[in-house]
Amino acid sequence: METIALVGNPNSGKTTLFNALTGANQKVGNYPGVTVSRVSGVLRTPHGHKYELLDLPGCYSLSPQAPDEKITRDVLLGDQQGSDLPEAVVCVVDASNLERHLYLVTQVMDLGLPVVVALNKIDLAQKQGIRINVELLAEELGLPVVPCQANKSIGVVDIKHAIRRPLPRPSSRKWQADKHTESAITELASKLKADHLDNAQPHAIHLLADRDYRCSEQSAVSKEARDASLECAANCERAEVSPEDSISKARTKWVQSVCLLTARRKEPDQGMSGLTFSDKVDQVVLHPFMGWVVFVGLMMGIFWAIFSLAEYPMNWVDAGISLISDTVSGTLPEGDLKDLIIDGIIAGVGSVVIFLPQILLLLFFIGLIETSGYMARAALLMDRLMSKVGLSGRAFLPLLSSYACAIPGIMATRSMDSAKQRLLTILIAPWMSCTARLPVYSLLIGMLLAGYGALVQALVLALIYFLGTISALFAAWLLAPRVKGSEEASHFLMELPEYSMPDMSYTGRHLAERAWSFLRKAGTVILGLCILLWALETYPKPIEGTPAADDPALALEQSYMGRVGHAIEPVVKPLGYDWRTGTALVAAFAAREVFNANLAISYSVEESDDEDLFLEQLRAKLAQATWPDGRKVYTPLTTMSLLVFFVYALQCLPTTVVVRRETGSWKWAIGQLVGMTVVAWLAAFAVYQIGSLFS
Amino acid sequence: MIADIASDLKADSAMTLSKASAGCQLRIRQLEGGECQRLREIGFCEELEICKLSDGRNMICSVCGTRLALSKKLGDQVLVEEVHEAELV
Repeated sequence: METIALVGNPNSGKTTLFNALTGANQKVGNYPGVTVSRVSGVLRTPHGHKYELLDLPGCYSLSPQAPDEKITRDVLLGDQQGSDLPEAVVCVVDASNLERHLYLVTQVMDLGLPVVVALNKIDLAQKQGIRINVELLAEELGLPVVPCQANKSIGVVDIKHAIRRPLPRPSSRKWQADKHTESAITELASKLKADHLDNAQPHAIHLLADRDYRCSEQSAVSKEARDASLECAANCERAEVSPEDSISKARTKWVQSVCLLTARRKEPDQGMSGLTFSDKVDQVVLHPFMGWVVFVGLMMGIFWAIFSLAEYPMNWVDAGISLISDTVSGTLPEGDLKDLIIDGIIAGVGSVVIFLPQILLLLFFIGLIETSGYMARAALLMDRLMSKVGLSGRAFLPLLSSYACAIPGIMATRSMDSAKQRLLTILIAPWMSCTARLPVYSLLIGMLLAGYGALVQALVLALIYFLGTISALFAAWLLAPRVKGSEEASHFLMELPEYSMPDMSYTGRHLAERAWSFLRKAGTVILGLCILLWALETYPKPIEGTPAADDPALALEQSYMGRVGHAIEPVVKPLGYDWRTGTALVAAFAAREVFNANLAISYSVEESDDEDLFLEQLRAKLAQATWPDGRKVYTPLTTMSLLVFFVYALQCLPTTVVVRRETGSWKWAIGQLVGMTVVAWLAAFAVYQIGSLFS
Repeated sequence: MIADIASDLKADSAMTLSKASAGCQLRIRQLEGGECQRLREIGFCEELEICKLSDGRNMICSVCGTRLALSKKLGDQVLVEEVHEAELV
């Protein structure tokens, strides 16, 4: 199937148009070798042709600032591994923002591919008094221009009609740079053609227009092509001409001349005299004081909603897991296979999947605030605070997502335009206390504050979240001078879209994609880990007739996992933990969610469908646990030390795997795992040992 | 010659976007610095009229009806001049 690429600026309505063009026939995958999602759908034209429509990441230009924008450039230049050069490109342009959106169109036109311009939000332009002569615009661009309103599917059929054979190719290049740059483009194009590079002319223009593209060794073009472009650029610089500056000026000059000819605004940019509804809301939302009140209130509301609403679907998931477990239990004969499936796979994977409702709820609220337009304001607000620790406000969304689960949070850094900021955010994201820590926090806070009410316990929980967050920001401050990267790229520059009703369709699709991705991960990495953990906790099996054969706690002690627990007891004893806690901690390094279940096995607490009863029984057993000399194991100090350990430790191998994938380096992934483990150990050690001096 | 002097006087009257007051109607004269291209691509182009809506560590400007937020450091790379009311009419 031939491919048509869909490109456009952020907030141009590209994704809405994509949904309107493809309907339900969409799929999400990954580009080979990179971590950006590949969103495609099937487009059927009235002429009977079927195309794969590829929704490329939104960008302001083909000189990318972020990893996902690189994909757009590489796909359109035919350099993306695993992706053929598209047959045609549909450029989505916001009709109310022609001057800003046509820049990308000029770059796409220079690729030599057939182009159709979808002039979207035509209703908004009319409302703002902008009159566009569509026929004249099409004449000036030399392309078909189709007015549309994607959110109401108006003009969608006309766009499909415009994609007809022979596909409309742009005529000759419309903009003209200075003579030195033009000469460099001609010279470079002929060198690249001689070197048999496909798309010599578009590559030549792009290499001269984008300094990073020609200087970077990670560029998709060959070293010979880059060297040739460096030579041509040097020729321009000898004549005191910057080719990238010259090209971007020439493009903007031509865009402005086209807009002057084809579009008329009712009056000049209204600025202060014409405050929009969004401006009026921003006067509150971005107010130095009220802005923070709104922000904190919204965040507290979201977290309250997650913790209170998620309980219902979590109970349903729990009931479902129990049903599956009971069904399998009634079907399979007794033996290792049954134990593996029920205790290893169903219980293990189930203990992870149960968090899906909380993760989805948080991502749902994030989707709402993103599509309503508030997220950009939150990033702007947070930028002031985060800049003090070397982070950009753009890190806010990934860090917020990390409260649900670090994995979608880390993946959300793909849209960050600074490699340094992206790496810093990835490194600190796991310290946003994720939902997987909640069962452990519930167990330990309940033990620590047994005589206190729910309000005090909730306040301590809030304090723990605050501790993780502050520590993450402190770590960013420490790491920022040590992480290599450009400072300029981290300067704040962001479009603040108009406030609008949240796009439920986009949010719903995004959630479905995330849910599937989470379940796929649960079915692969976590499944593998659960099988491994089960095997370590089961073998060697106790000999029939021995006490361990009838005592699960003793059997665990004699298993490989138990031996590991005993072996590391000298390491965890200074933190106040015995071998049983050490065993549970080791298991929790694979996935935190298994900590409680492992402690339950060690202390012979039966699993129960009633989570509250199970926690009560486990707390009671832990409170009675003693060292060989009779001292209590779980003192308030031990409990606090364990709480602090869980705040700081990176106990999630799937996160480490994702960090490796997103950073492209085991060095950062392993370094993060080891670093956070060391910090966790030191912090827990300090709490226990210093606390012991005073108790 | 008079046109050259007028042009020089105009260039001299340019200030950075960071230094311009909030609420002013401005015309972009020139972009100078390492982020010119990035600024042009998002909409800060030479000869374009914009309005600076708010000041602070990050400024908000109205560019072709769109609100763009940018840091002071980026604002220092945009040279602007005030558009007087007579020119607006």
